[in-house]
Amino acid sequence: MSTSMRGLTVFIADIRNCRVRELEEKRINKEMANIRAKFKDGNLNGYQKKKYVCKLLYMYILGWDIDFGHMEAVHLISSNKYSEKQIGYLAVTLLMHENSDLARLVVNSIQKDLLENNEIFNCLALHAIANIGGREMAESLANDVHKLLISPASKGFVKKKAALTLLRMYRKHPDVIPAVDWAERVIQLIDDLDLGVALCVTSLIMALAQDNLEAYLGCYEKAVSRLKKIVVEKEYSLDYVYYKVPIPWLQVKLLRLLQYYPPSDDERVRAELHDVLQAILSSSQETPRNIVNQAALLLGRFITSKETNVRYLGLETMAHLAACVDSLEPIKKHQDTILLSLRDKDISVRRRGLDLLYSMCDVTNAKAIVTELLRYLNIADYALREEMVLKIAILTERFATEYQWYVDIILQLISTAGDHVGEEVWYRVVQIVTNNEELQEYAARTVLIHLRSISCHESLVKVGGYILGEFGHLIANIPGASAIEQFHAIHSKFGLCTLQTRALLLTTYIKFVNLFPEIKGDILSVFNQYRHVLDAELQQRAAEYLAIATMPTDDLLQTVCEEMPPFPERESALLSRLHQQHSDTEDKRTWIIGGKDVNKERENLRMSSLITRSNSSDNKKTNGNFTIHNGSTSSNGGSTSSNGNINGSNGYGDVDLLSFSDLNLNNEITDSPTTLTITSQRGVLPADSITPGSEQWFGKLIYMTEGVIYEDTQILIRLKSEYHGHMGRIALYFTNKTQIQITSFITVIEHIENVIITTPGPPPSTIAPSNQIQQLFHIECHSTFTGSPNLRVSFIIGIPVYTIGLRLPVVIAKFMEPIELNGPDFFARWKQIGGGHREAQKVFKSAHPIDLVNGGIRNMISGFRFGILEGVDPNPSNVVGAGVLHTAKSGMIGCLMRLEPNVDAQMYRLTIRTTNEIATQELCTLLEDRLTNDKL
Amino acid sequence: MAIKYVLLVSRQGKVRLAKWFNTLSPKEKQKIIKEVTQMVLSRRTKMCNFLEYKDEKVVYRRYASLFFVTGISSNDNELITLEIIHRYVEILDRYFGNAYFVLDELIIAGEMQESSKKSVIRVVSQQDALEDGENGEKGWTEK
Repeated sequence: MSTSMRGLTVFIADIRNCRVRELEEKRINKEMANIRAKFKDGNLNGYQKKKYVCKLLYMYILGWDIDFGHMEAVHLISSNKYSEKQIGYLAVTLLMHENSDLARLVVNSIQKDLLENNEIFNCLALHAIANIGGREMAESLANDVHKLLISPASKGFVKKKAALTLLRMYRKHPDVIPAVDWAERVIQLIDDLDLGVALCVTSLIMALAQDNLEAYLGCYEKAVSRLKKIVVEKEYSLDYVYYKVPIPWLQVKLLRLLQYYPPSDDERVRAELHDVLQAILSSSQETPRNIVNQAALLLGRFITSKETNVRYLGLETMAHLAACVDSLEPIKKHQDTILLSLRDKDISVRRRGLDLLYSMCDVTNAKAIVTELLRYLNIADYALREEMVLKIAILTERFATEYQWYVDIILQLISTAGDHVGEEVWYRVVQIVTNNEELQEYAARTVLIHLRSISCHESLVKVGGYILGEFGHLIANIPGASAIEQFHAIHSKFGLCTLQTRALLLTTYIKFVNLFPEIKGDILSVFNQYRHVLDAELQQRAAEYLAIATMPTDDLLQTVCEEMPPFPERESALLSRLHQQHSDTEDKRTWIIGGKDVNKERENLRMSSLITRSNSSDNKKTNGNFTIHNGSTSSNGGSTSSNGNINGSNGYGDVDLLSFSDLNLNNEITDSPTTLTITSQRGVLPADSITPGSEQWFGKLIYMTEGVIYEDTQILIRLKSEYHGHMGRIALYFTNKTQIQITSFITVIEHIENVIITTPGPPPSTIAPSNQIQQLFHIECHSTFTGSPNLRVSFIIGIPVYTIGLRLPVVIAKFMEPIELNGPDFFARWKQIGGGHREAQKVFKSAHPIDLVNGGIRNMISGFRFGILEGVDPNPSNVVGAGVLHTAKSGMIGCLMRLEPNVDAQMYRLTIRTTNEIATQELCTLLEDRLTNDKL
Repeated sequence: MAIKYVLLVSRQGKVRLAKWFNTLSPKEKQKIIKEVTQMVLSRRTKMCNFLEYKDEKVVYRRYASLFFVTGISSNDNELITLEIIHRYVEILDRYFGNAYFVLDELIIAGEMQESSKKSVIRVVSQQDALEDGENGEKGWTEK
């Protein structure tokens, strides 16, 4: 830009020659005054404007404040000359940002340039949006940019920029981009002949697909075949070979995109992918075997490399491998080398080493790794210590096989790491000791020993105070650990502690008063003394405790000092501290530091958070007459610490921090469901309401196996279903009733808890006029559930997008099998189950007259899959039924029912008894609902 | 794998080029420049090219007396970022012109746009030609 503007060149030279800052300032001020005057004058031609804006920009880049010239920059943008336009855009992108009010002024000019038939102008406009595009630009320009991307007339270099500009818009304002509607056209572009376009489009798809997995499913196959073309078939121009590797950037992105999806079911696709991986691996080394061992072997060589970068990447990738392989054995072979990496000269490498050790730890090597980490902790960088403490604490907890080891290590950790021990760590110790009876005596003994050492860190005093206060009596008979000795051990540290700790220790003392009446005198004198301290909290505690301790009876003291109940099980605060969330639209990692189980748990967590999300949105659709949503979230709600006990940490701290699951000393890896369906990841669209009117079909299908589930003027959806035990199958038939082709046809399941729905493949994306397509779903019931999953169907006819929200008739009754029982058996079971929570009884009025003759009631009951038992009830108009509910995880649940119609009053009395409370309630609700509303 | 910023810093810590792909206040930018530059400059040559800075990663590489520094998110692939830097340097090596415009052709919105040297240089030269053409008409009228 500088070749022809001599004034600018001179100006820059002037500034460069300024030896002192004062001179530079003087020169700048002079120039600013000059430019201001020129601009005020007006009447400048494009060239002059360009020149002055350039000067302003130079000053701006040097760090001077520029508060004028924006308008001139905006004018330059609308110039027809490239050189002027270019400077205008440069100025706008440098001087403005997405939130500037002035950015609004350029939206129109940018749009004009986007629509221009000149690619270079298109590009300038795209660059501007990619740099400063805010919400307003996204809203008004996204469509034009999208057109540039998909138009066959666009040149490659325009498409590239358009794709990345869209990516930027999506990351900033995902709600503005109709990601689902664009899926098909965008996915096609992975095949673009231009590898640069493929690269940019893949970046875009990665962001869109991870939020809309279902809609972008097609990209999986495309990604595999593109990889194959590059890696195996070597289809690329030499331009794209980067140090002997063909376009590594694209390879990396495609592989990462594949990680978002479960492996394809299609044998052919899998074979292709295998070829690709094989080719990639074999191009970097020789010896074959299975892919995992091969990778571990190669990485083992990497981590001993002389080249620091290679060591770094080797360790990092090995941590990745540890996160996803079944056996850690190949990695464990390198344990010694990895331990050595903790002593690497470079902190970046040391960090990776730490991550890897954390990930590869299991029961067999936990002791070795933890011991080594503890030893290293003493000499570790300050920046690393806190993280190390957390990790050691987590590993110790997770892989402890002996109580003693756990207590020893964790106390050693607290005493050596001292200041780097976060509050979470000692809270956790207290919880674990409280929740594990076997641990208590040993813990009490050990803390006492630690308390007696001369240098005892304050965190340890806190743990000691709490544990002795709760469990001190367990060791009071051991010589050297009598009540008074315990008290002296603690009290010798009292004076050195912070106010917070002292408050906690006062609480310990009141517990002592309860446990050891013999030392009451010593303690009362401490309370007496602290009644007069300045700190309000301490004073209050001392005064209150003194009052409690000197009451005529011990009743209140005993109630208050009752043993702490076990802590509720919750996610470890240590872990949640370790895994911080990333912002929403960034490319996500599909793994985290930590072993395989952690990753599995995380996957499940992701899934369950999804389920609660769709549940809560379900609740919003207040069609109250259908189901009672028992809000599966309520059970794991707040922590309960509000009983009368004095909680040691309660004074200043927040009890809620004590949040945890219990210590898994036996190392049973919890076998939680790991089936991953595609939609379960993030594919749920913001749940809108159910399409009005569709409830009538849903209601019928609850007790029928096939029928219409939805119909309007455009589309007809029929359902067929069959269930055996806890498994079921649904086929949906979609018929296009119009004379126009339906395109972009997509279905999305909104999952609910304990029901796993998978589909062998997505439906075809188009339905020809008057044609029909079908989609299959496999359903598995894991445990009792309430409500039903939703299905969202969206498609395009002509221009508008239609979305239909349907409730799938997958309710708990579907997993019941009818059984036959004779009278005595029925009553025996009826009694066995008993009343209380296992029984639900409702008396309600029907909306229609009750007809006992035509058998409609009986048909409905058997449609609910109860076996109708004849002759059991002495009154022939009553209906008695029995069935067994099958679940995969919670076994079988016996279900009995009795219905007493009262024809005159048009009322029913319904009684349900099952061996499971949830099932009882849900069945009762379902039956009541249908009996009330349906004409039988 | 979004790049958050690209900095070119001299051995003495002077910033030669700064391109930001995130919206940050000037103060935040100054802070990042100062802290990251300090960290990078204090590292020895044998050390690896990756650093952690807050929740991000810093990937840098030294070419003669110039440090090329990029900030990426902690999820990103540092090796491929290092290669982006290298490609940038290779192109600058071939094409001696405005480093900002070259960068614009290489990276948009923090993502690699084009990895082919030829394509990048072709587009940049095309722009230059256009500009030269227009300037030809204008002449050297200058104060």
